[in-house]
Amino acid sequence: MTILTWVLLMPLLGFIILGLTGRALSRTGVLIIAWGACGLAFLFATVAFFSVLGAPPDSARIDTMVYTWVTSGDFQLSFGLLLDPLSATMLMVITGVGFLIHLYSAGYMEDDPGFWRFFCFFNFFIFAMALLVSADNFLFLLIGWALVGLASFLLIGFWCQRRPAVAAAQKALVINVIGDFGLMLAIFLIFTHYGTLNYFSNDLGVGVFDQAAPGSITTAICLLLFLACTAKSAQLPLYMWLPDAMEGPTPVSALIHAATMVTAGVYLVARAHPLFEQSHLALNVVAVIGGVTALFAATIAVFQLDIKRVLAYSTISQLGYMFMGEGVHNYTAGIFHLTTHAYFKALLFLSAGAVIHALNGEQDMREMGGLRKRMHITFWTFLIAALAISGIPPFAGFWSKDEILSSLLAQGASGGGRLFYVLWAIGLVTAGLTAFYMFRLVFAIFADNYRGTGPVSRTREDQEDEEEEAPARRRAQAGRFYIHEAPGIMTIPLIILAGLSVVGGLVGSFGIFGIFAAWHPFANFLSPVFMDVTIREASLRLQWLSTGLSVGLGLLGILVAWRLYRRGFQYKENKNELYQLVMHKYYVDEILTALLIQPLLWIGRTADRLLEGDMLDGGSRGVGWLLRGTSALLRRLQTGYMRNYALAILFGVVLIIVYYVVRG
Amino acid sequence: MQIPLSWYLIVSAILFTVGVTGVLIRRNPLIIFMSIELMLNAVNLSFVAFSSYLDSADGQMFVFIVLTVAAAEVVVGLAIIVSIFRTRRNIDVDDMNLLRG
Repeated sequence: MTILTWVLLMPLLGFIILGLTGRALSRTGVLIIAWGACGLAFLFATVAFFSVLGAPPDSARIDTMVYTWVTSGDFQLSFGLLLDPLSATMLMVITGVGFLIHLYSAGYMEDDPGFWRFFCFFNFFIFAMALLVSADNFLFLLIGWALVGLASFLLIGFWCQRRPAVAAAQKALVINVIGDFGLMLAIFLIFTHYGTLNYFSNDLGVGVFDQAAPGSITTAICLLLFLACTAKSAQLPLYMWLPDAMEGPTPVSALIHAATMVTAGVYLVARAHPLFEQSHLALNVVAVIGGVTALFAATIAVFQLDIKRVLAYSTISQLGYMFMGEGVHNYTAGIFHLTTHAYFKALLFLSAGAVIHALNGEQDMREMGGLRKRMHITFWTFLIAALAISGIPPFAGFWSKDEILSSLLAQGASGGGRLFYVLWAIGLVTAGLTAFYMFRLVFAIFADNYRGTGPVSRTREDQEDEEEEAPARRRAQAGRFYIHEAPGIMTIPLIILAGLSVVGGLVGSFGIFGIFAAWHPFANFLSPVFMDVTIREASLRLQWLSTGLSVGLGLLGILVAWRLYRRGFQYKENKNELYQLVMHKYYVDEILTALLIQPLLWIGRTADRLLEGDMLDGGSRGVGWLLRGTSALLRRLQTGYMRNYALAILFGVVLIIVYYVVRG
Repeated sequence: MQIPLSWYLIVSAILFTVGVTGVLIRRNPLIIFMSIELMLNAVNLSFVAFSSYLDSADGQMFVFIVLTVAAAEVVVGLAIIVSIFRTRRNIDVDDMNLLRG
């Protein structure tokens, strides 16, 4: 039993116990099990992390076989756990941030009748995600990949009495299955061409993928893997499910749809980097898709009115950054941004959750304002997170974003072609936009005076489901509505995450400050994983240029937001066509409905009418009809008169005799 | 003078045909039974003829078995006829067509 077994086992046990007995447990009982499971997993993950941290680079990978699943001749499928710097980092993020969100949820979900169910699913998610990152082969990665999709489905549709939530859950599941299919095809190809699914062949400890397959095959594998990433990590063209996933409870958005599950794609690209390194086409596709998505989502985020949707598009945009970083070989930067993003985006969601909680479920920023005076802690944590994501030094986001941007520039400068200059420019523009929409959010929520009219239900659709609302909302409608700071169990995780958002980036590279050039502990830590990758370094001057521009644009974005919204957020309808285009999220959902869903529905209805009626049913109905017809004829023979039968017997006997006589 | 085997067989065939005809055309079950007996005895006759012709006792053994079976059959058959007569007051075979499909 390695330590990783325990990391996996704890949340699994929590899930099983809660699933079987949760209904009968008191709230305290549920919390003890759920917190205990996740907390112990975090503890074991920490132990694992430090065991890797202390190890010399050449022994930083421990691959343990746990169980052989299938043995058939030479063919073997085994379940092994891989502990290396990459999986240790991921496990720390998953269990650590996961544990904080577990704490927070106790306050957020306090009044919900599905309390135990929520924590049961949460533990299940932690298990599935830990399985995804600690499996040592593609098959169990796929299993984890599918299970986190299931957890996501269950938690998006957690409030299953509400129709939008159920629709969003289905949308997420369907789109993710497209990605899962890509992953499956990629795995089949890997198996055919490399003969194994393990990342490392066990005895030799060398990467399986160092042996080359035909280039086109490698490219196909990489593109299929990346298709899976675009679905799971909400990149173009499969990003549509993530904004809708905001229908789930806010802690779910924080844990699954910001900090951990959506980063699985980033992890997969980093894990499969020996393959991606062999295919420049695939890597360029990763970079371009990442860049386009980053800008695309950022522009949408600028115009959203629902605070959670702003954060959702912001997540898509930041994930695009990570892929951009990986697209220029800087996997370390991608994983680094993943880590810091987990801190500040979880913090943003949790702070937004505290606001939503205080306003009894209100998510529209037009109905907010002035909360700074009532919610001090939330204001400060939200502000820190906003500064972090805007890339303002010394907050966490600055360091990771800066590494990605300077890698892009370096790739362009060292002969990578114009493409990477364009991507670098896109990254800078996105950085400015990010700062703008985040501070638009900050001012809309916290500045000026409260604009709301008291308890208002969340969305239009909700008004129909008013009866089934959570008790908190019902109590609000009874007139006991007041804006209050969240309870301690919610603010403590906020403060911890805020601390991480401030200092979490300091493990990054300080290359731009000459005297600290040797300080890059995070890259050092991950270096055993990415040993075979060479990252292009930009000259110091270019690095300063990139850093200066990104910080400058970030500050500019904040300044513009301050100019526009410092006196409070005013929403004005704008008839400008471009404005309307972005406001309606480029009409992607509408276009998809018209191009894909309507034709599919039409095909279904037509098939129902034509095929089902006469062609398919016709066959089975025809068989019955034929049998009935023939038996109606045959029954005539059965007259019931004995002499007819006797005659038939006689006739038969005569025939037989004649046959023998004629034959001789 | 020895009577040739073929004569016996011809008599046997004639008897058998008479029996078959009786079974097919008569409507009284008692007569049908008699006709069946006629058929059985036609067969018995050919058995005995063959037995003597081949100098073997096998044929005679068969005759005894056939006689036993015939007796048993008549017992059962007559019992059925009596019970049908009791319920329907009529034993015309043309009225007995309950098993018509």
